[in-house]
Amino acid sequence: MSSADPVGAQATRSLIERVFREEAGRLTASLVRLLGDFDLAEEMVGEAVVEALRRWPSTGPPRRPGAWLLTCARNKALDRIRREARFKDRLPQLAARIEALPDSAEREPDDRLRLIFTCCHPALDPDAQVALTLRAVVGLTTAEIARAFMVPEPTLAKRVTRAKRKIATAGIPYRAPEPEERAERLPQVMRVVYLVFNEGCFTTGGDLGVRRELVDDAEWLAALLAAALPQEPEPLGLLALIRLHAARWPARLDAGGRLVPLADQDRTRWDAQRIRSATALIERAASLGRTGPYQIEAAITAVHCEAPGWKETDWPQLLRLYDMLLALDPSPVVRLNRAVVISHTEGPAAALAQVEALTGRLARYHLFHATRAALLRDLGREEEAAAADREALHLTANPAERSLLTARLHGDEGTG
Amino acid sequence: MTTKEDTMKYVLLLTRGAWQEEGSEQERAEVFDGIVEWFTKHRADGTIVEANQLREPETATTVVVEEGHSSMIDRPLLEAKEAIGGYAIVEVPDLDAALELAASFPVPDGKVEVRPIVER
Repeated sequence: MSSADPVGAQATRSLIERVFREEAGRLTASLVRLLGDFDLAEEMVGEAVVEALRRWPSTGPPRRPGAWLLTCARNKALDRIRREARFKDRLPQLAARIEALPDSAEREPDDRLRLIFTCCHPALDPDAQVALTLRAVVGLTTAEIARAFMVPEPTLAKRVTRAKRKIATAGIPYRAPEPEERAERLPQVMRVVYLVFNEGCFTTGGDLGVRRELVDDAEWLAALLAAALPQEPEPLGLLALIRLHAARWPARLDAGGRLVPLADQDRTRWDAQRIRSATALIERAASLGRTGPYQIEAAITAVHCEAPGWKETDWPQLLRLYDMLLALDPSPVVRLNRAVVISHTEGPAAALAQVEALTGRLARYHLFHATRAALLRDLGREEEAAAADREALHLTANPAERSLLTARLHGDEGTG
Repeated sequence: MTTKEDTMKYVLLLTRGAWQEEGSEQERAEVFDGIVEWFTKHRADGTIVEANQLREPETATTVVVEEGHSSMIDRPLLEAKEAIGGYAIVEVPDLDAALELAASFPVPDGKVEVRPIVER
């Protein structure tokens, strides 16, 4: 960052992307607060980025790119509010406050926290919360969000526009909740971050590169929450969970783009440093003394990440963690995952009985059928296993999962 | 606490919950007492600017205007289960305050639509 060496256009672009994410998000948040107008704030910051893209390739990036962007966006905002009649009454006051916007080093994460809580306000439709958070906090374009969630761009754009308009006209306050109401609002915000992560990691498919970026975006959002709310353990748990999955990312697909089950992954390809950093987060969260579902999910993932191999996994410890999770979240999906652990502590027959008890509630969930297939196969019931795999294949659109299931159906899974 | 400039006006549209048709007379009377107390309290603190209970939905007539002509239908606009039973106009700092107020409306069941009012 401190170097002023001339760099190529590609490097400049990636530098701008990094600076944009760190600085522009904050700047947008501050400007939204001052101007009370999402679109105008985004436009000003967007113009500053365009200016940077135009200048930096020839001049080289400035010594402090964040401060440069801030000054540029601040000047553009000042020009604009002087021109726009609707700001006339508030002009002197606004101008003074925009001039006084502090440099990034002194800026508190408060504005971004305000922004993320506003974007995830429960009065907004859940899909709109996700889209608006990615647009306003992360700074993705509507085209990028549409591609990531495989939604037509006009639909996505309309969703974002409607949400912004509702914030302004319905009087959704631009603020983070007070500590006493945080318990109610924070889970909603974490859910939005989790959805972004989940979309990147597990669901509908689409372009792999785009999905990997979603995992990074989710990690960044979780880090933002954890930094802004250092006394809250659950954002630390969520951050750890996402980081652990990101650490395993290099091993999750084989050369043919096929999903590699955890049992068969090449663990030497996991990012050991990231795993260490995530387990430190889990310990920090635990020291705050209030457990929660994200911390437990992270701990479960950490048990897998710390095992030298699938066979050496600490199954009794996993079972204890799943029992804790079940006490907080008695959902059929948690029961399904717990049954997988049971297959290692009590054998496949006991696990299958537990899985089959969930048939009524999970019949439309592809992993229910895939799990059942694996247990049936362990019990030598090949034909029933194949039927269950076909059912799973029928229910998932994810290309990596589809190719794994197809391979299993053709009997060539033993190669991994 | 807040000046007039910092507040917004909303209308709370209160549906008639199932409790108004079901339950004993005494249960209904108890709920009504709670409602009266709620209105009294929020009128006194200036949150509720105006409020009215509406007559039963059976008393409603809906006027439909089409191509400049009007006709009438002998029923309320909305289905019976979402029929509006009353409304309150409130003046609060923001949507959160309006939503909190709506959620505190003391009925066993029902819905409250919170809509900002256009101020000119």
